Amino acid sequence: MAQTKDIFQAIADPTRRQIIGMLAGKSLNVNAIAKEFDITRQAVSLHVQFLNDCGLIVIKQQGRERYCEAKFEKLNEVTDWVNQYRKYWDKKFDSLESYLAKIQKKKK
Amino acid sequence: MEAYNTFRQEDNVLIHTRLLNAPRELVWEVWTDPEHIKEWWGPDGFSLTTKSMRVEPGRVWDFVMHGMGRDWLNKIEYVEVKKPSKLTYRHTGERSEDYNFTVSILFEELDGKTVLTMKSVFKSKEIIEELNKKVNAIEGGKQTLNRLVSYVESLAKE
Repeated sequence: MAQTKDIFQAIADPTRRQIIGMLAGKSLNVNAIAKEFDITRQAVSLHVQFLNDCGLIVIKQQGRERYCEAKFEKLNEVTDWVNQYRKYWDKKFDSLESYLAKIQKKKK
Repeated sequence: MEAYNTFRQEDNVLIHTRLLNAPRELVWEVWTDPEHIKEWWGPDGFSLTTKSMRVEPGRVWDFVMHGMGRDWLNKIEYVEVKKPSKLTYRHTGERSEDYNFTVSILFEELDGKTVLTMKSVFKSKEIIEELNKKVNAIEGGKQTLNRLVSYVESLAKE
């Protein structure tokens, strides 16, 4: 049931939401982002990687620095009706699956 | 196994597939028995009361979902009932007839498991596109995610 990182997971986290907000309008390198948080640079870097993995931001190498840039088109996917419908049924099928597991266990 | 958990859009049809670890008869049962269906149907955190359910072509499942502080009346009309392999029903009651859609669920056996294919058929591809555009307006007020999107977009425009 392992799912790839998706946009919904990405923005469920407050730190990642804040990072997206910071990247709106300007690209920043990881150090500049990390400065804004009390958590370690490594932790910030993982969040950045997560956002990159699901396509919400792109990381561009500029000289020695890695700059992060937000991709807002991707964020629109969240509000897209088809995606909400998809997500809704994905969750329902999860519920269905665990319910099926539960009642089959009982029978045995 | 992942290959069975898919989603795609083909023109005016949205297609979900899922491999379920249960025999087909049981999967059929949990879709067509009020005692079972209330255990998993509907949004998370909602409860469900079935007023009546007759799984026969032309008959309906009349139910109420309870959540977010109110009751939500729902009605589904069965169109095709072929136990235990195919179930088709129509969602009715939308403000406009155009938004009503039909769902077909195929249950196929695979080594004691069930491959479920759910096809949601809309009036046209254009209706789906319209829903995509409208959803912001409809859900905008109450959805955190949407608020986030507009917040971030407004920042981007500065």
